[in-house]
Amino acid sequence: MSGDTARAGLSRRDFITTVSFSLLAGACGRRFDPQRFHVPQSSVVGLFPASSYAIDFADLIFRGFQELGTTLTGRRVFLKPNMVEYELDTVINTHPHVVAGAAIACRRAGASEVVVGEGPGHRRDMEYLLASTGLNDQLREQRIRFVDLNHDDVAVVPLQSWFTGLQEIALPVTLLDSDFVISLPKLKTHHWAGMTCSMKNLFGTVPGAVYGWPKNPLHVHGIANSILDLTATIRPHFAIVDAVIAMEGDGPIMGRPRPLGFVAMGSDPVAVDATCARVIGLDPDKIEYLQPAAEFLGVVDASRIEHRGESPDRYVTRFDVVPALEHLRLSR
Amino acid sequence: MATNRPVGGRDPLTTRVDGSRIRSDLQSALLAARNRDGGWGYAPGRHSRIEPTCWAELAFGHSKGHPPDVDLIRAWKRHDDWMVDVPGAPPNIAFNALAALTFLQERSTVPLAQPLISRVIQAKGLRYRQSAALGQDNSIQAWSWVDGTASWVEPTAWCLLLLKKVRAQSPRPEAAERIRVGEQFLFDRVCRDGGWNYGNPEVYGQKLWPYVPTTALALLAMQDHRSHPVVIQSLRQLQNDVASERSVVAVALTIVCLRTYGVVTAALEQTAIELSAEADPGNLLGTAMMLYALTDTREHAAFRF
Repeated sequence: MSGDTARAGLSRRDFITTVSFSLLAGACGRRFDPQRFHVPQSSVVGLFPASSYAIDFADLIFRGFQELGTTLTGRRVFLKPNMVEYELDTVINTHPHVVAGAAIACRRAGASEVVVGEGPGHRRDMEYLLASTGLNDQLREQRIRFVDLNHDDVAVVPLQSWFTGLQEIALPVTLLDSDFVISLPKLKTHHWAGMTCSMKNLFGTVPGAVYGWPKNPLHVHGIANSILDLTATIRPHFAIVDAVIAMEGDGPIMGRPRPLGFVAMGSDPVAVDATCARVIGLDPDKIEYLQPAAEFLGVVDASRIEHRGESPDRYVTRFDVVPALEHLRLSR
Repeated sequence: MATNRPVGGRDPLTTRVDGSRIRSDLQSALLAARNRDGGWGYAPGRHSRIEPTCWAELAFGHSKGHPPDVDLIRAWKRHDDWMVDVPGAPPNIAFNALAALTFLQERSTVPLAQPLISRVIQAKGLRYRQSAALGQDNSIQAWSWVDGTASWVEPTAWCLLLLKKVRAQSPRPEAAERIRVGEQFLFDRVCRDGGWNYGNPEVYGQKLWPYVPTTALALLAMQDHRSHPVVIQSLRQLQNDVASERSVVAVALTIVCLRTYGVVTAALEQTAIELSAEADPGNLLGTAMMLYALTDTREHAAFRF
């Protein structure tokens, strides 16, 4: 969407608002309008080795952009990491080195502006999270602007799909005014959603100062439904997944660190998430939000996903999950 | 009960709290960031919102020794008597309670608080079926952030504060029942070692951590139960946790809370002054809260009952 909107001189906010009125009228009873979405025949996902957080992530991610043919010339990039909580020796959040590396790589790739933003669902206190995770130091050192999405100005925009049954949602203007959104999650199991990756990461864009902490309307209307509606509305252009040390078990907060040693990248967040699910031993067809996503948002079918960098087979493993999610496992 | 234990990681006897310059800087920063409509956004140049505007009004009213100017808050749009600061978005129940507390600071604006108090009394979080994953009572209907969702600690604490604040002046049986339920909720949601997070003390048998700001706020709402073991334990937890806290918002709320409980806060105020000096000037909510916390002329009357 961004390429088209940028060429037309429309902001994402204008575009989302402009296209919606006619769609809503014709969308009664439907969960999405197929005319509005295009699922490619195939998608490309790159898995790039990253043995530790000491490596040069700017270099790795920039090479990933090149490998995947991603250009950011003149784009105003919005980077959305995953920051929820902080506890020493845990791996809850996207590592600050990955966040800073991604921002530097975006600049190298020609971005005219790079903004990092997050709206934690549990911790209201962004200052605390930025300081304790060390992200603040990284951002200051690289002179990267950070926006607390929980407290940003907001605009109420129509949803572009209707799985939740809601018609509109308030979203931060900094996100809406950017023209290239990158979801930058930590790969984790999730005790409600099965897995959190680039799509579930979008929960952090929903402003707490409007909806509260946690963003409970998203739970009330169904986590999977909310993931789908947010992804359909925000339409992230790219995903960069911190799977250097992932989280298994009782994620997204109380799980255990699990080294995987790669960064996943791709312009189809659905394909990226489906690939990550398979790597950790979960069946994307059983993950409640990925199956419908294949109908309109991106590619889930493994035979239609091309890989760059390393083969997923190199990393395939079996993550622990809470007992209630055992049914999500891949049959091997 | 450790009410006289100094906090903030310093020896109060050797610490000089001279915050006049910082208070002046905070005031200047707030005034410079005030919007044309008279309110404040969460950051300079952002639209005026209920929460930072209320804190700024409380802080300025406080620091000048006169009641807050609430013209802007009064002018905000209403939706079923709730104030709404984002057109099209649902009313935020917690911040409406804060606004009512702000109105209550000035006799002339007390009537503006009345419809909000009535709405707060009527508001209820959703009742949920029990979940084996959550060690809590999902049947308790306290207060949610927005209508149609579950109850959480922060909105419950704000609404409790409001209803307890007006309890003495205008006792209403339905308010008394809501206070009972709100207290029941906070007692149910307390973390195992004391303190509160957003509202889940444990998930799948694993205890979750308390947070400093939510604990301070919940304790403010429970200031009339200061002999209760849960309150005593949570106060101790707060005093312990705030020693390593570096957030302006968290420290400001803790100062207000601890003063209300009669705890010596001189050392923590010194920490607060240092934090304010190096804080992000774009955090107007933190600036307003810190100004309020560091100004003690009226002993934080807005939150005492």
